Amino acid sequence: MVVLSNEQKVRLVKTLSDHTPHTALLGIQVVRVDGEELTLKLPYQKELVGDPEAGTLHGGALTVLLDQTLGLSSVCCDRFEPSVTPTLDLRIDHLGIAPPGLDIFASARVYRTTRKVLFIEGVAYCDSRDKPIARATGCWVRVAGINLAGFFGSLQGGAQQ
Amino acid sequence: MTLADVLQHEPSAETLQLWLKKVPYAVFLDIRAELRDGEILFILPESRKLIGNPSLPALHGGVVGAFMEQAGAFHLIAKMEKPVLPKIIDFSLDYLRPARLRETYAQCKLTRQGRQIANVTVTAWQEHVEQPNAIARAHFLLPESD
Repeated sequence: MVVLSNEQKVRLVKTLSDHTPHTALLGIQVVRVDGEELTLKLPYQKELVGDPEAGTLHGGALTVLLDQTLGLSSVCCDRFEPSVTPTLDLRIDHLGIAPPGLDIFASARVYRTTRKVLFIEGVAYCDSRDKPIARATGCWVRVAGINLAGFFGSLQGGAQQ
Repeated sequence: MTLADVLQHEPSAETLQLWLKKVPYAVFLDIRAELRDGEILFILPESRKLIGNPSLPALHGGVVGAFMEQAGAFHLIAKMEKPVLPKIIDFSLDYLRPARLRETYAQCKLTRQGRQIANVTVTAWQEHVEQPNAIARAHFLLPESD
């Protein structure tokens, strides 16, 4: 099992993100990888407003950010080789409303792996992680026989065995 | 028959069409609505900008979820006596099969509407309604009336 450094994981996530047209369109960026935890950012955009009176972001934009963050955090997990992992389900609790004009961050990690399923959780927040505006949990399926070796190949330099 | 025609017979749903055009994110996704068999049918037109997986290609799962959440909210608004924008409490989404690059549909059911909380289920499909791409359930908080 190869464990990638945080920098290698950032590059891997960026490569995968760049291949996702919708993510690129929304300007979702990789903020950091800290061990197995991935943090992405969704810049505030007027096009993504859900409540035109209040100017607050649409819950659906948060769904996109959290789906993306939780899904991509699977490649930051050191406990299995990154593979194709389609989403099985996703649940989002909307704990608060993001104030208008603020970028939204989302952090996620795989908290449990089994042979077939990854259990992933994450939060979305603006100013402080201690004040989440949403919490998400979901399951991702590990598809046997397909891995991201191609993406991985360019990232092996300096990896710790 | 257009949705606007139907809304004339359904005073509680008068603001639905208006909301579709007033919500920037719904405009961004180009969400449309029409009537089919007496029910509101929500439509997410095919667009390459919605692709999440270019190798299939498939729509971004989050976008499908966002479309379904918006459909659920609009469906609820249409059923309200005094339409207001409901606040989403939680959203639970099951992905059943990847959504391909084509038009996507959603229909909703107001499972229960209490004084404060509404439970809405949403089904999204592409080819056949019997083969949904995703199903979802949302709880909405209804703002105090008056």
